Amino acid sequence: MISVMASELFKLRKKIRAWLGPLLIMILVLIAFPLSIDISQYDLNKFYFSIIVISLLVISFLATETMFVEDFEDGTLEQIYLQERDFYKLALAKVLIYVLLIGVPMSLIGSLFSFANGVDASQLPQIFITLIFSTLLLFNLFAFGAALSINKGAMLGVLATLPLALPVIILLGRAIRAVQFGNGFYEIMALMIGAGLLVAALVPLVISITLRTHLE
Amino acid sequence: MQLITANNISYTINDQKLFHGLSFSLDHGSALHIQGGNGSGKSTLIRILLGISTPTKGEIKYMQPNLVLSYLGHQNAIKSYLTPLENLELIFPKAQFDNAYSWFKKLNLIGVQDETTANLSFGQQKKLALIRILANDSDVIILDEPFVGLDQATRDLLAEYLKLRVSKGASLALTSHIEPGFNCHALVLNGGAA
Repeated sequence: MISVMASELFKLRKKIRAWLGPLLIMILVLIAFPLSIDISQYDLNKFYFSIIVISLLVISFLATETMFVEDFEDGTLEQIYLQERDFYKLALAKVLIYVLLIGVPMSLIGSLFSFANGVDASQLPQIFITLIFSTLLLFNLFAFGAALSINKGAMLGVLATLPLALPVIILLGRAIRAVQFGNGFYEIMALMIGAGLLVAALVPLVISITLRTHLE
Repeated sequence: MQLITANNISYTINDQKLFHGLSFSLDHGSALHIQGGNGSGKSTLIRILLGISTPTKGEIKYMQPNLVLSYLGHQNAIKSYLTPLENLELIFPKAQFDNAYSWFKKLNLIGVQDETTANLSFGQQKKLALIRILANDSDVIILDEPFVGLDQATRDLLAEYLKLRVSKGASLALTSHIEPGFNCHALVLNGGAA
């Protein structure tokens, strides 16, 4: 498993556009939005989190859209199948590496921008952890979408996984409100961590079966 | 000794029979040359042998547990954005890297080792992909058109290598429109009948 993760990290590190692109787009969105509307800082603070959440959703989709396409098209999936006979380790490693290289910086960017828009510094760790577990959930769901639409364009993946992402967004919204009002944060985080770990363990299984079907 | 057996296998796609009722085995120290025209199902049969595709009827049996297969198909399974050496590092564990690198030198790829693989010619990319086979001590070697895109010297080198491996007990199955240059059993696919 460690060697698979090392390979995936090596590959993603070399594809600078694949990990730096989504991060730059997120920064651009978070900077451009307040500039594009005439609104007071007080009003902006009230709904800036929504912008962070929506950009997290969209950028997570963008970042994972082509997660398996390259390995499918260049024959790497066939070689992996011959060695492993399934894709569980590959899917698990890919999602974790994407979360590490894209999800964690995205969460950091989201946290820093929320700080710049009225969140107290003491709440930053809570915001950061909330965003990390949201990206873990979103990356897993969108990775499934990417596997599903590997040779059929991205729309099928979007249609299949967007409804699944909505509960994550609702949960994330609740968690952020809980941070802001200092009420019930740990209960929501427990739910988020539980869901995150369950999804991180089970979705690679579904991805593995999906990739196997495409290979056939 | 049989390593892989195919029992009465058939494959149908879109109501069109590619082949049916095929029975054969890949034996220890023998080579099988799968022949046939375009669209006759050679690549499909290779994928069935590998366990990637499932036959419509019949079954493939691996006669030994943990059989080590090496395969090179139409896709090279190399990363175009990496250098050839980085590709080798990705494919081979440290213990096998020196052997892979000696093949890298033997195939005259030293001059392009720091280039991005995307900038290499088709033949050079094919050579790089072939190292996956050449530096791998597998029980069964399965190749889909391995000689395409290679210069004569590399074709000869590959043919010699395959001949040597078969003589040492490996089992080989290959499709090729170019004569391999060593003794192989022939399996001819001919649009539904073999």
